[in-house]
Amino acid sequence: MSGPDAALLDLFREETAERLDRIVEGLLAAEAGGAHAEQVDALFRDVHSIKGNAGMVGFDEARAIAHAMEDLLDRSRERGELVLSLVEPLLQASDAIRRAVEGEHGVAAPAIARLSMHDEGRQTPREASVAGGAPVAGGASPTAGASANGDAPATGPAPAAAGGSLRVAAEKVDTLLDAVGEASLHHRRIEHLVGDDSRGAGNEALEEELDRGQRLLGDLQDAVLQMRTLPLASIAGRFPRAVRDLAVREGKEVELVLEGTETQLDRTILDGISETISHLLSNAVVHGLEPAAEREQAGKPARGRVELRAEQRGGMVAIEVSDDGRGVRDEVLREASRRGSLVDVLAEAGFSTAERVTEAAGRGVGLDAVKTSVEALGGSLEVVSRPGSGTRATLLLPLTLALLRVLLVERDGYPFGIPLGSVIEALPVERSTALGGRTVLELRGRSVALTDLAESLGASGAPLGPRAPAIVVAAGGERAAVLVDGVLGEQEVVVKSLGLLAWVPGYLGAAVLGDGRVALVLDPAHVIRRAALGRSAPPTARNAPALDAGTQNAAVPKGSGGVDGSAGANGRPSANGSAAANEASRRSRVLVVDDQITVRELQRSILETAGYEVGTARDGREALDALTGDAVVDLVVTDLQMPNLDGIGLLEAIRADPERAELPVVVLTSMGDEADRRKGAQAGADAYLVKRDFDQRALLDTVARLIGE
Amino acid sequence: MSATHVRVRVGEEHYALPIEEVTEVSELPVRTPVPGAPSTVLGVASLRGQVIPVADLSAILGLGRSERPARMVVAQVGGQRAGLAVDAVTDVGFLPVASEPAGGRHLTGAALVEGDLVGLLAVGSVLDAIGGGRG
Repeated sequence: MSGPDAALLDLFREETAERLDRIVEGLLAAEAGGAHAEQVDALFRDVHSIKGNAGMVGFDEARAIAHAMEDLLDRSRERGELVLSLVEPLLQASDAIRRAVEGEHGVAAPAIARLSMHDEGRQTPREASVAGGAPVAGGASPTAGASANGDAPATGPAPAAAGGSLRVAAEKVDTLLDAVGEASLHHRRIEHLVGDDSRGAGNEALEEELDRGQRLLGDLQDAVLQMRTLPLASIAGRFPRAVRDLAVREGKEVELVLEGTETQLDRTILDGISETISHLLSNAVVHGLEPAAEREQAGKPARGRVELRAEQRGGMVAIEVSDDGRGVRDEVLREASRRGSLVDVLAEAGFSTAERVTEAAGRGVGLDAVKTSVEALGGSLEVVSRPGSGTRATLLLPLTLALLRVLLVERDGYPFGIPLGSVIEALPVERSTALGGRTVLELRGRSVALTDLAESLGASGAPLGPRAPAIVVAAGGERAAVLVDGVLGEQEVVVKSLGLLAWVPGYLGAAVLGDGRVALVLDPAHVIRRAALGRSAPPTARNAPALDAGTQNAAVPKGSGGVDGSAGANGRPSANGSAAANEASRRSRVLVVDDQITVRELQRSILETAGYEVGTARDGREALDALTGDAVVDLVVTDLQMPNLDGIGLLEAIRADPERAELPVVVLTSMGDEADRRKGAQAGADAYLVKRDFDQRALLDTVARLIGE
Repeated sequence: MSATHVRVRVGEEHYALPIEEVTEVSELPVRTPVPGAPSTVLGVASLRGQVIPVADLSAILGLGRSERPARMVVAQVGGQRAGLAVDAVTDVGFLPVASEPAGGRHLTGAALVEGDLVGLLAVGSVLDAIGGGRG
C-alpha cells in the first residue's frame, strides 16, 4: 500500500483511537446495564466509519475486522438490543483493530474467527458463549459479503469536523505558543526603548497603547494555552476496560466510577499521567479491594467501588483514585505518623520490606514510581487511608506545564527559575549548623537541609556572599533550602523543553527571559533530594556557635561583619551601626510593602537581621492602615505594582498627609524603567532600588542613610 | 553521490554537514550553562524564542575544547536539534564523493577538497552524543 502520506495516517490513527475508545465505552455500558437501540446504533456507526476509513488508507486487516463487527452489530440492531455474550468478543475485536492500526499484522483472522463463533449464537442469543455449543468455525471471513461489502464510507458521520471542532497537530499549537512568547518579548523590548527615549517617556497615549498591547498579548497567550488543554476524558477512555479486565482476572466484582473527567489538563501532563493513573487503579483493584467473601464478612457490599475523580483546585488539578477496600494496616499507619508521610512508607515498601508490607498495606506496589513521575511533572502525591474502609491517593498537578510562575534567582551570574508553588520563603542565612556532616538551617525550630544551588546541580560556583539568600522550597512533603547569590523577583515564564538535554536531571525545562537570557527552571524535588544527601557544607555556611538560635529579634544587629573580622568585604558597618545607634532609644521601624510574599519576607529578614523592627503590608491600602496604626513607622519600602493601591498611589497619599510628608519612602520595583523611576520621583520617593540588581547592602545602606539623618 | 554540504572549520580541521541537516548558521549566541550536562555541552541558548542546546563540535570530535568558537551551525535530524559551535563556516557547496576512509565514530567518510581533507559528519551520531546517548 502506497499512497497515504504520514499526516493523513496520523489523522486516521488518532480518529480511529477515539472511535475505539467510544466503542469500548459503549460496550461496557451495554454490559453494565443493557444497551438500547440507539446505543447499538452509535456503536454501529463508529464501527462502520472505521471500516470505511481503514479501507481508504489501506489498513486491510482493520477494515476486515471492522466489517465483521459491523455484521454482528447490524443483526443486534435489527433485534433492537445487544446480546451480552457479544460484548467480550467485540471488545477483543476492538483491541485487534487497535493493534492492526498500530501496524501489527495477522491480528484479523483470529479476531474475525472469534466474532463468527459468537455470530452463530444468534439462534440462541441468551446462551451464546465460547464454551457452549461447538460453533461452526466456517471460512476465515465468514460473514463478509453478506451486506456492506463496497459501501461508501461516507454513510457514517462525517469524520473530524463534527461539533464545529478542528483537528490541529499539537506541534502547530506549540509553534503558535512560541510565536506568542516571541511577541511578548518583542513587546517588552519596545517598552524598554520607549522608557529610555525622552520623546517616548511621559507620552500617555503611547503608554496606553503599550498597555493595551500587553493585555492583548495576555489574552492571546491564554487562548493558545487553552488550545493545549484536553479533558481528562481524552485518556480516561481505556480505564473502565482496564479495570474490568483486571477485576475479571482477580475474580473480584468492581464498579468504577468516573467523575469530573471533563476537567481540563495540559496535554503534556495528560501524556505523563496516563500510566500513573492506570497504576493507581490497578493497585486499588488488586491490593485495595478485598475478595467478595471478605467484604461481605466485613459488612460491605460484595461489589467493590473504585472512584476516579478529577477537579480543579486553584491553579492545580487534583486527581483522586480511591477505593472502599481494606485500607492500610494500623502498624503501617503508625509508622507513617512516626515518619510524617504515608506515601514515603508505602513507596519504600515497594522496594525493601517487599511482599509482606506491600500485601498488608494494600498499596505500595510501585508507588515510588508513581511518586517520582508525578513530581517530575511538578506535582505531588498524597495518600490517606483508613484501616478497613479504604484508601485514597491524590495527585496534585499543575494546570499547565507551559506557563509557570517562578521565583527568579541568580547563581554564579546565571538566572534560575524555581516554581513559585514550591517556594516557601526566602531569607538571608544567618544561622546554620552542621548536624552529622549535613548543613542545616534552623527555621522556626525545624531544621531544614541547606545546600548551595550550584552544588545541588553538581556544579561548583564562585563562593557565595556572606549573607546569601536561602530559598526554602518544598515538594512531596520535604523541605530544603538552597543558597543563591541573589533574588531577581517573580515572573511568569513559558517553560520550554531542553530538547536533547531533557534527560539531564534537575530541570523542568528552560525559559527565555525578557532580556534574551535563558533561565533553567529547576525541579524542586531534585534539589530537595540532593540537599538531603548533604554532601558538604557550602562555603558560606556559618557554623557559628555565637549565633544562638531563636533570637530573631535580638537587640544587637548580628551582621556578619563584626564576627569574622572581614567587615570591609562584607558590608559597610554603617548600616549596622546606625541601627544599633538607634537601639539606645527605640529601634527604628520599617514598613515593607509588597504584594509578593517572597520579596516581603526576604526584606523582612534582611532588615530584622540588621536590627530594625519590621512591619509588612500587601498593598498600598494595607500600608496606609498600618501607617495610621499605633506603631510609629520611620521608613517605608514599597513596591510599585500592587493591587488595590499601587506604590505611586501610596506615595501620593503619604505626601498628601501633612504628618507624614517627611516620612522617608524607598521605592523598590522589578522594573528598571526610566519612566517608572520618574513617576516615583515625581510622587516624592526618597530613593529608588531595582529588584533586578537587588542587593541587600544597597537596601541597608539606603535605609540607614534615610533614617540616620 | 555528491551533495550540497555546509563546510566548517574546527581548529585546523575541516568538516562538512549535509545541508538537509542544517537549519541555519549564526553567530555563536550567549549561552546559559547546564550543570549536569556532558562536558561537550556549552549550554542552552535562545534562538528566536526557542531553547536549543549548544555543544562544542571540537570537543565532541575528541579534538579538545575549542578555544574561541565564533559561529554556530544549527543541526537537526528528525525532531532532535542542537547548535554546534565551530570556529568558522567556510563554504556551502557541492562536495565530491567520500573517497577517503574516515576514522572516528562521528564520521561517515572523508573527501579531498582543494587539498584539504574534509570529514563528513554523521550528524545524527553527533546529536546522539549531546543527548547522552539516550537518543
